[in-house]
Amino acid sequence: MRSWKTTFSLAILSALTLSAAAFSEGYVGIFIFSLIINGVMAVSYDIPGRSIDLISLGHAVFFGLGAYFFGIAVSMGFSFFPASILSVLLSTATAGMIVLLTAGLSHGYYSLATLGILIIFQRLFETLEGVTGGSAGIYIPEPISKFQCALLAALLLLATAGCHALFFRSRWGLYSKEAKADEDAAEAIGIPTRKLKVLCLMAGAIFPCMAGVLYLARNSHINPTSGFSLTLSITALLASRIVPIEGVLGPLSGVLLITAAEEFIWTKFDGFNHAWFGLILLGAAICQGIDFRNLKKRIH
Amino acid sequence: MIQVLISGLFLGGVYALLAVGLSLAFGIMGVLNLAHGSLAVLGAILYKKSLVLYPFSPWTFCVLATPVFLAIGCLLHLFIAAPFRNLPPPAGVVASLIASLGIALILEDLFVWWQGWEPISTYITFPTVHLLGLKIPGMRAVLLGMTAVAISLCTLFMKKTDPGRSMRALAQDPETASLYGIRPGFTAMSAMGLATILAGLAGVFYSVLYPLSPREGLDLTLKALFIVVAGGMGNLRGPAVAGLVLGFVESFAGFLFTYTSTDIIVYSLLVSYLAFKRSGRRQ
Repeated sequence: MRSWKTTFSLAILSALTLSAAAFSEGYVGIFIFSLIINGVMAVSYDIPGRSIDLISLGHAVFFGLGAYFFGIAVSMGFSFFPASILSVLLSTATAGMIVLLTAGLSHGYYSLATLGILIIFQRLFETLEGVTGGSAGIYIPEPISKFQCALLAALLLLATAGCHALFFRSRWGLYSKEAKADEDAAEAIGIPTRKLKVLCLMAGAIFPCMAGVLYLARNSHINPTSGFSLTLSITALLASRIVPIEGVLGPLSGVLLITAAEEFIWTKFDGFNHAWFGLILLGAAICQGIDFRNLKKRIH
Repeated sequence: MIQVLISGLFLGGVYALLAVGLSLAFGIMGVLNLAHGSLAVLGAILYKKSLVLYPFSPWTFCVLATPVFLAIGCLLHLFIAAPFRNLPPPAGVVASLIASLGIALILEDLFVWWQGWEPISTYITFPTVHLLGLKIPGMRAVLLGMTAVAISLCTLFMKKTDPGRSMRALAQDPETASLYGIRPGFTAMSAMGLATILAGLAGVFYSVLYPLSPREGLDLTLKALFIVVAGGMGNLRGPAVAGLVLGFVESFAGFLFTYTSTDIIVYSLLVSYLAFKRSGRRQ
């Protein structure tokens, strides 16, 4: 059972890496790059999403932080590698503070707080015009080639998938299964649930920061709306939820479906992209609510 | 300064009305309805569109539109609450949260398609009252009065009528309530209908006071949720008071800083409150 999932996951990851190496320019290049970035966002979202069942509506905060810190560092004259290391460190530290602030919250409250944080950062980066460029955002010269960006993004996706697989096979993954089933019972048998939550949330926060860096390095422009985007958060949420398969294969196949659907919606139904996302979310939620086992019994 | 205080009072009144509806839905069904603000925007759009047909006053429109809002609420219940009734608590909350977010996104795009990007404003001229040297806009005073009446009627409904008592019983213990003959599905649907009526009224009142963007639904929901969390889930008095407080905070922040800073202050308060107050934490 596990082997076919691993085979499919590896096939998707290899296909994406090869495509990133083969097509880095033009429309196909942009599409492959957005597939990889969405993949990093969804797989990283899936670590806390699936292990402790927390719905974050502000996953894009980490992406925006990474991109903005990188943009500011490059504007100050740093070259690509020092700027990216500095921005990942700074955004991870900020992400750590956000995680510590929200880790104790229960389900609905966590979603609410993360949405609030997303709006705070969006408005904050609009207000700090001198540093962030206000609502117009930051423009930077291309620090590395598009080919290098695509390859680095593919490597990042591999690392995220590796972390996902390792996490769920580690003792923390087993702890998370227990905590998800019954948090109080898990605590009673000695599982450090708070530590588990912080670890899951941090594991899910670091990779989007790096994805933000690579996004800005490829596109040369970021603004508060595209950086701290609710749509990006929802894409990650959808991709992680839409395919009910455990492991990396779930979010990876979700990303392929959602990014393709996103592309189709943008070109064919411009102006209704949120509505389509909404329909998919509604469908996914209702499917979750249907008790298929009971339904089968009733049919029989 | 006193003028700012008065402005905050009017804004807080509308927020309170919005939050009372949300509190009702959460208290009875355990649904964190992220589409609640979008229902308020729907109320504002319906009022604006109705003005083209006939120049209704806000109060006439509210009375006439109540059955429409009730029907919309009942329909909404079928999508965001009914399918998840049998799921265990965390999974049920998560599923209804995702479903209501889906509805909010669908409504946002439909509003832009129907109404366009321009803000919804149904401002009506009304004589200004001069009291103790203060200028009080007549329409705002009337709307504040109507808000107070709506919240009081809702409280009376919950306390003194049989359907209201059924809703409270369902909120306290669904299984025991079912044993006493209360139909959980129908009662929850009625509660969602009532919450939608309050959201619709809040939207109508808001659009009379301030222009409302068709995409402002999630922002309104977030503020209403903040009020509900601060005032206490499931009761009506707490959110009403917290709504007034938020109105004051927003008015003062707008007076002292810029519009963007107002949002930063309000949402920072929300997140800090959630993070440090025990109610947001797992007990």
